[in-house]
Amino acid sequence: MIEELSTPESPGALRTDVKMTEEGFLTDDFVRQLINVGEIDILVGLPTCNNAKTIGPVIAAIQSGILQWFSRDRAAIIDADAGSRDGTPELVAGASIDDVQQRAFNRVALRTLHSISTQYGSSVARGTALRTILSAVELLRAKATAIISPDSSNIQPDWLRVLLKPISTENFDLVLPTYARHKFEGLLITNLLYPVTRAVYGLRIREPYASEFAFSGRMGSQFLAQNSWNDESARAGSEVRITLAAITGGFRIGQSFLGAKNHVEQHAADLVLALRQTIGVLFWSMESNFSLWSNKTGSQPIPTTGTEQEFTIHPQRVNRKRLHEMFRSGVVELESVFRSILSPPTLAELQRIAGLEEDDFYYSAEWWVKTVYEFAAAHHKAVISRDHIIQALAPLFRGRALTFLLENRSSSAAEVEANIESLCLEFERLKPYLLEMWAGRE
Amino acid sequence: MQLTQDALWYKDAIIYQIHVRTFYDSNGDGIGDFQGLEQKLEYLQELGVNALWLMPFFPSPLRDAGYDIADYRSVHPSYGNLEDFRKFLNSAHERGIRVIIEMVMNHTSDQHPWFQQSRSSRDNAFRDWYVWSETDTRYKGTRIIFLDTEMSNWAWDPISKEYYWHRFFSHQPDLNFDNPAVVEEMWSVMKFWLEAGVDGFRLDAVPYLTEREGTNCENLPETHTILKDFRRRLDEQFPGRMLLAEANQWPADLRPYFADGDEFHMAFHFPLMPRMFMGVKLEDRKPITEILQQTPEIPATCQWCLFLRNHDELTLEMVTDIERDYMYDVYAKNKTMRLNLGIRRRLAPLLDNDRRCIELMNGMLMSLPGTPIIYYGDEIGMGDNVNLGDRDGVRTPMQWSGGWNAGFSTADPESLCAPLILNPIYGYPAINALSQRRTPHSLFSWMRQMIAVRRSARVFGRGSIEFLYPANHRILAFVRRFENETVLVVNNLSSAAQAVELDLQRFMGSILIEMFGKNIFPRVGKLPYLLTLGPYQFYWFQLRRV
Repeated sequence: MIEELSTPESPGALRTDVKMTEEGFLTDDFVRQLINVGEIDILVGLPTCNNAKTIGPVIAAIQSGILQWFSRDRAAIIDADAGSRDGTPELVAGASIDDVQQRAFNRVALRTLHSISTQYGSSVARGTALRTILSAVELLRAKATAIISPDSSNIQPDWLRVLLKPISTENFDLVLPTYARHKFEGLLITNLLYPVTRAVYGLRIREPYASEFAFSGRMGSQFLAQNSWNDESARAGSEVRITLAAITGGFRIGQSFLGAKNHVEQHAADLVLALRQTIGVLFWSMESNFSLWSNKTGSQPIPTTGTEQEFTIHPQRVNRKRLHEMFRSGVVELESVFRSILSPPTLAELQRIAGLEEDDFYYSAEWWVKTVYEFAAAHHKAVISRDHIIQALAPLFRGRALTFLLENRSSSAAEVEANIESLCLEFERLKPYLLEMWAGRE
Repeated sequence: MQLTQDALWYKDAIIYQIHVRTFYDSNGDGIGDFQGLEQKLEYLQELGVNALWLMPFFPSPLRDAGYDIADYRSVHPSYGNLEDFRKFLNSAHERGIRVIIEMVMNHTSDQHPWFQQSRSSRDNAFRDWYVWSETDTRYKGTRIIFLDTEMSNWAWDPISKEYYWHRFFSHQPDLNFDNPAVVEEMWSVMKFWLEAGVDGFRLDAVPYLTEREGTNCENLPETHTILKDFRRRLDEQFPGRMLLAEANQWPADLRPYFADGDEFHMAFHFPLMPRMFMGVKLEDRKPITEILQQTPEIPATCQWCLFLRNHDELTLEMVTDIERDYMYDVYAKNKTMRLNLGIRRRLAPLLDNDRRCIELMNGMLMSLPGTPIIYYGDEIGMGDNVNLGDRDGVRTPMQWSGGWNAGFSTADPESLCAPLILNPIYGYPAINALSQRRTPHSLFSWMRQMIAVRRSARVFGRGSIEFLYPANHRILAFVRRFENETVLVVNNLSSAAQAVELDLQRFMGSILIEMFGKNIFPRVGKLPYLLTLGPYQFYWFQLRRV
């Protein structure tokens, strides 16, 4: 996951290869292709870059899903590509069903299916890719749009049904996925983003940072109009941003279970980047929506198709020693930064934990919650550079992740789920502490 | 006006389908007749049609709109007599209008004397004129056509205590074409009408003439042999006359009916018709281009017959299951509109009375390769009555005026052969020929102009077709060529305005002349030719090098 980035404090120093203005954002060629597509009901967006190895089954599943579940709807597949050199756009275009290429009786497809591609830049910028797709959604007046990751190698045609039908037939505005994950997969979600989003906004959204999701036309239009896309910070973490926009905009949110998620993480190790795109975006959202979240207590489930979450427990190698070392060195090296962010008791507790050996290591839920809330308050106050605040959270998250691994080493799936629920409840219980810190920092 | 002497006259024909019974009643008995039809030839000439296809007018118990014939050599007394027919035929010819009649040779009425004889005893000389069996288990692989009414293709005859074969209603026993006497008799019947002067026959239900165990009893080689024999005799004894096949089959199965140009002159293109309706509802040309891509080439002397609606239900036999479900949902939400595997509605109600869409559909009918057929009343946008049984809802009296009985008959309304359409939208006060003939922008006037333009260029009846496949799938564009004529046809299948870029490179330098207004459009250059079209709009352009 690479995003065009600069520090949020210096939005003028954007690193982007795409020169664009609002009115000329889409290329003439792409607009011409969109004219040919015309008004549609269903749009499937693919943000791609050199995905030739994985895109085949993905595009086949999308085509099959459209034919199976949306055969009567006007549909299009739109690929926003970051300058692939491996033929990805051509593979996407091959999914078209028309009378030009087909020349044979297609007994399944009732109507033409356009599958088109546009290049938005020469390096990956997921926010710009989403903006491109959203612009197409608006121009084509698509009623329901699904964003699908081009490396979801185990995608099933049914994903389109469970993501799009709630929107096209039940008036949902945003449908987020739930997955069957390994118990140690997605720790950033399970230990940080999910519980904080849940405690702050009072909604139990399991995957606020989804690579597959679907949204309504009105949700897409509003998000496209509201987001100031020329501001880099507005493009970073666009997946979380659209979730938060739905929450704060009062849109109808649902979840659908997609099953197992095999995702090729090309930059899984870039934790700081992931934190910027997740908790960083959430902290920004809290800033401008205080009145909305400050009086919420507890949390509400949201309508879910299928199970809410499934964990698998097959063996998986995790480098606990490295997590332990990075936590310890982080606490030591960033002590001066932490003095600006954390309260003395919290810092003292972290320093105590850093002195523990790996086998005795334990970063309790309570202290983790307090840590995160103090970071949120520090971000609100901007005690130091907000980006530095987010970066500083990285070693502490590793410490919390280590504890989660140790705690759940031999846990069953149900026990893992119970532990995550317990952590969420701790975040909810200590929400007054967040408000106290938030106010105190004022 | 003289009839053209061209042997390929059917290629340039605009055929108008008429049910004598419901067209015009001249004697006030509530039933249409030949004298009435003759009186209305002026109207048909004004419309511009140059061929009529008459539904069966023979003596019949009329349990299937006359497709249950009881006497092949006479006229049903309600419609007049042979002399009336001959007089009408001469008048039509004098106006340059040819007449095609029905030849229902697959089956007769069970009231036909042949069948009465046949069932009278197993030893009767006519016994072998029909297909009899001691069991109802023969020809198991044969589908039932009238699914809503028939459980089997066999019916028990309590008189001769055997089953008889029928592909349609059980009161329509199939003739046995393995019996040479039947073949000879049928040719004799055809000869009778040819000598009377008819210009051609629509041969009803031709795929079903013969039966063979282990087959689906359709399109059998033996059937083709019989049909070719009829064609040979026709060409030898009555050159210039025409045979039209009713064979509701897929294109590949239809192709053999043209053989080497020595079987049928024309055949209905059944699979195309529902796909034209599908195309405008989906706003997508794919169904239309796809079926035409699958349509095989036919001999140069042969021709497809195209139609939008006719006296039967809009048949959905030649579509896939997914297409049929779609058609039912979009065109026949009300289940009373459905009959067998089809939809029993007229053109205007099917298209929600959308004038632009009606024009577009007629535009495609007139410009795609083939000879178009207009079903009576569709030229003024008549409605239907789905509350009538069977297919009677699309066979209501022609609406001539807003006066007494729609101008159809002077009889008491209660004694009409079929009820009139009375609702405020399609009823005769709103939709009638008289008012439309007096209105320059009525559907009738528009149809008259459309037919005139179509008849002005032989390319439509005789030319080749090349599809252009613009990237905008809502646009159906094709080029028709014949000798030195080239016509570009561009149809917008969408209910919204569309822009389209056409690749006309090979016509670079040509100018486009719009065929209705005769206005000149910009010359074709190197760039794709950009056109914008309003909702359901279509253009016919002559391409000329200047």
